[in-house]
Amino acid sequence: MEKKEPISRREFLKDMCFVAGGSLLATCPWFSAFAQEKETAREKGRVAVIGTGSRGRYHLRHLMNDPKAEVVAICDDYQPSIDEALKIAPKAKVYKDYRKLLENKDIDGVVIATPLHVHRMMVTDAFAAGKHVMCEKSITKTLEDTLAVYKAYQRSGRVFFVGQQRLFDPRYIKAMTLIEQGEFGPIEGIKTYWYRNNDWRRKVPSPELERKINWRLYRDYSLGMMTELACHQIQVGSWALKALPNTIMGSGSIVHWKDGREVYDNVSVLYVYDNGIKMSFDSIISNKFYGLEEQILGNKGTVEPEKGKYYYETIPPATGMMQLLHEVETGLFSSIPFAGPSWVPETANENKGEYLLGEKPKEDGSRILLEAFVESCITGKQPEGLVEEAYYATTLSILGDQAMVEGRILTYPDEYKIDYLNHRAPAPVAEVQG
Amino acid sequence: MKETVITIRRKKIELVTFLICIAVALGLNVYAIVRYDTPWSELYTELLWVVVWGCGIYVLWSLGRLAFWGVYRLFRKRPGTVGRI
Repeated sequence: MEKKEPISRREFLKDMCFVAGGSLLATCPWFSAFAQEKETAREKGRVAVIGTGSRGRYHLRHLMNDPKAEVVAICDDYQPSIDEALKIAPKAKVYKDYRKLLENKDIDGVVIATPLHVHRMMVTDAFAAGKHVMCEKSITKTLEDTLAVYKAYQRSGRVFFVGQQRLFDPRYIKAMTLIEQGEFGPIEGIKTYWYRNNDWRRKVPSPELERKINWRLYRDYSLGMMTELACHQIQVGSWALKALPNTIMGSGSIVHWKDGREVYDNVSVLYVYDNGIKMSFDSIISNKFYGLEEQILGNKGTVEPEKGKYYYETIPPATGMMQLLHEVETGLFSSIPFAGPSWVPETANENKGEYLLGEKPKEDGSRILLEAFVESCITGKQPEGLVEEAYYATTLSILGDQAMVEGRILTYPDEYKIDYLNHRAPAPVAEVQG
Repeated sequence: MKETVITIRRKKIELVTFLICIAVALGLNVYAIVRYDTPWSELYTELLWVVVWGCGIYVLWSLGRLAFWGVYRLFRKRPGTVGRI
């Protein structure tokens, strides 16, 4: 069996420049993270991973394979996770308290892959300690915390990355390049969905660890599918439409997994943009037939970046000969009640679409996202747009949940707007002169 | 099993028949292009299909001929059978 070797960063960047047709930085300004790639060739970013659960270890593996990354330390308060992480990074120094890790002056940046409810505390502490931060999505689970993290990042002058790996995924980059070039006409709507058929539970060695391990299922720690799944897909909307929605509505319920969980297992949320365009997010975790996708619907075509394919609205008709044959065949068999047409030439012209990259997708953007973070740890330069994309992915996920919980149509609150796309941060209140 | 001979005349007839079939297929292609308003480039891009259609027409024509001559032979009075009781 052929072994899949990840391509080198330089090759990847070359490929991306080709994919984006020279407009890579216009479509994905965050790729400026690699602007000094050559100059930093001999340097290393010293990083630590806080939270060595499954996602943390996934990042750890990528970091260990990045020649520019040096994994200095790991941190977790759950010993089995530390033991597993040490198998990947045996030389890493182990911490049980992240605050102690932050005191380590040999660390440039931290990758935070902990449960959602502790993100704010850890991210702001890391900034206060002068570390660069890459935090898993979502940024936090409340609007207040997300804004607080954003402001802490602005004050810190440090680099901040969030685990929105689609921003570094070649399929998405190609899709957005084609959208920007008008290849699919004006985008009229986006339908996103994420279907699974499993209970989303992890095995718990003893009952007191239930909430620690299955934190995604409880509202004190997570907003379930909105902060864990929707956050990825909603972000595609602002990227494709270059706009942010202002109206949010939805409905959520626990339909199938009535096992004591507090988060919905069946959600449907609608985001409405000022020009009337809508983006929907649907998720059911008791049926996986349709899998996950973001269907970006243009007037002239459709993109499905997850599948890595695009489809034009009008496809070339069948050749004259085929149409003639079809007509003869239909005429011949349609009068025979028991014998339907044995074959229909149009099926050869069924809109099967084209691959965005000319082949089936190989990997998502997680590896490149981490490499970009390590690169930014070396240069200390924050790539443009990255935090803002993640900020809105998080706040829109939170508002989606809020709309479902409260059962009402929400308007994006002005106080949580930041300067990005069509949103403007509220003017600071002038100090009262006394 | 007895030896059979394909005469030069028969070969010529079959070759001409086949060429006529190809020409008919080519004509059908032109007709289809005009009828369905498809690009004239199909005149050469569909050449393979023209050959396939030509072969198909030739096979159909051959089957028709076989059937005709089969029936013809069946009902034709054999020489020497008249008056034999």
